[in-house]
Amino acid sequence: MVFIARKSIQLIVAFFVLIAISALPALVAQMKFNPASYWEGLKQQFAQLTKLDEITYFNVTAQKEFLLLPTISPFIKETLIIFTTAMLVSAVCAIFYAYLFYRSGRKTRMMLKQTTRTLEMVPDLFWIILSQFLVLYLFKTTGYDKIEIAGSYAEYIRFLPILTLTLTTLFFFIKWLTTQVLEQEAAPFLELARAKGIRPAALFWKHLIPTMIYRFYLFFRANIITVLSSLVIIEYTFEVQGMFRFVFYNGQMPILMVILFLIYLPIFIIDLLAEWLIPNAWKGGI
Amino acid sequence: MRRTLMRDPVFWLCLFLLTGLLLLSFGNTIFRDGQVDQISNRYAEDGTFLATSPLKPSSDQWLGTDRSGYDLFQLMIEGFKWTAGICMIVALGRMFLSLVIAIPLAFRSARVNRYLKLILDGFLVLPLSLVALLILLPSLTFFDSTAIPPLFDRVSFELIVLILLGLPSLSLYLIAETRQLLSQEFMIVAQTLGGSPWHRFRRHIWPHLVPTLTIVFMQQFIQTLMLLVHLSLFKIFFAGTVNLYVGTAPTIFEWSSMFGYYYNQFSATSWLNHMFLVPLIGLALVVFFSNLFMSRLERAFRFRQQLKPIKLSASRAQDEAAATSMVDPFTLVARNSRHDSD
Repeated sequence: MVFIARKSIQLIVAFFVLIAISALPALVAQMKFNPASYWEGLKQQFAQLTKLDEITYFNVTAQKEFLLLPTISPFIKETLIIFTTAMLVSAVCAIFYAYLFYRSGRKTRMMLKQTTRTLEMVPDLFWIILSQFLVLYLFKTTGYDKIEIAGSYAEYIRFLPILTLTLTTLFFFIKWLTTQVLEQEAAPFLELARAKGIRPAALFWKHLIPTMIYRFYLFFRANIITVLSSLVIIEYTFEVQGMFRFVFYNGQMPILMVILFLIYLPIFIIDLLAEWLIPNAWKGGI
Repeated sequence: MRRTLMRDPVFWLCLFLLTGLLLLSFGNTIFRDGQVDQISNRYAEDGTFLATSPLKPSSDQWLGTDRSGYDLFQLMIEGFKWTAGICMIVALGRMFLSLVIAIPLAFRSARVNRYLKLILDGFLVLPLSLVALLILLPSLTFFDSTAIPPLFDRVSFELIVLILLGLPSLSLYLIAETRQLLSQEFMIVAQTLGGSPWHRFRRHIWPHLVPTLTIVFMQQFIQTLMLLVHLSLFKIFFAGTVNLYVGTAPTIFEWSSMFGYYYNQFSATSWLNHMFLVPLIGLALVVFFSNLFMSRLERAFRFRQQLKPIKLSASRAQDEAAATSMVDPFTLVARNSRHDSD
């Protein structure tokens, strides 16, 4: 009961904060900060809350106004597909890399560490440009044109956005997991399990990974802003018909408010599920 | 930490590159009045016309020229002080204001911090580039090139916005860091002995925070640089965007604006030319070397942490040896031996 009350309060407070953020464009006019205009903007946003289903946006291609709420669902779907696929792929790859790292000898570990540390320093933008360049180069040399480098209103682009977001987050995840493996390796519970004769593979999958999952989630949650920033730029450069690109072309305050709710809500739900579903023992409890 | 860094060649390489670029940039401003050579056409020695701008990289123009004929190498050198300066000012500004906010709050009860976290939770999931774009777009896009506000106003306005946007997350981080220090044994002792919050901060927390702040500075530097690059892709160049008949143009040629300008100019017509690649590779290298610099700082900091528990002074080791000796445990080993509390 306390948990539900706490989470409900968190959601309500977050919604208020998001409304305050969505009114920020009203704060600035002609390079001057204007609190009175911001207050008006806030009032307007609160008034809009009761008429969310009436918010419209102008579609340039069709040259007419559309209702936001049913029409935005394909954009949400597109963003969710790219985000979740990239996160799953990079999490799975990072865990397998951690396993490889765990089973490797000192020299291999050093080599793996150096390589991933170097790759981790490469900015997301470089991956985007490099992937586009490689696809173009492939097309010029072999004539292979099945990989899209930019989407359009009618065409979806998924492969390259997923690939670049995966690459950006993969090295990020790998860094954290490698540090954790090194830290946890000498933990007493692992020593005990090893002394009992449990094989290294079982040690990793049954003992080490469960203790890391919750903290891995917390790490991901703390750094989600970085991942979403990369997604914003990926959607823009690849012309993905997603939510972030949509808000770039339709930045009016009521639309912004809805989009901010739509960004926060899934993260809140994942938070809720993580707290509910991950067993207490995995969180370090008894 | 300092000793580890002094012996680290990678650290010196990064420092040399970044400082060297900065000195060259200031040198160009001081000794050449910030002048950038403009070469429209290239001719052979006998006067035969060879090419017109944009000129490809050659021994005369190392990185080639852009469409207006500006030497890209000189443009990059001239622009670096802006790029580095903006990132440094934003990083320092965020750190200073975050410290002012975070330190008093860290001394408050855990409940206050819990509430603060609850309030800021919504803010911590939003991409900064998106929020910055929505705030800056209406103010920094100019449709009349003759009615652009003064440079100082534009720069200070954008700096304020960039600093303020990074405050919530950095403040929360510094609160957590300070609270962790406050929960350490030596801090509990300092409190028990009657140390005031200011005294505890000045004498105990600050020396421990400094290495973390050095790393935080580099993090903020890179974050700001990436934010500038993202904004420039959205055609929000630093200090304003002028909408001309032929497209958008920056008002200052700093690296991120150059990248966004050339990227938007050429991605639709021709692909991967030197104009677009020069700022891209330059930015990627700056981010790479800044990350490398930060990782060396982190490494030195880690070594310092690891060394701490095993660092025993000779006198203390002798005392312990004497205390455990079965022959004569009460013999003094060294007079006035000082126990190293570290």
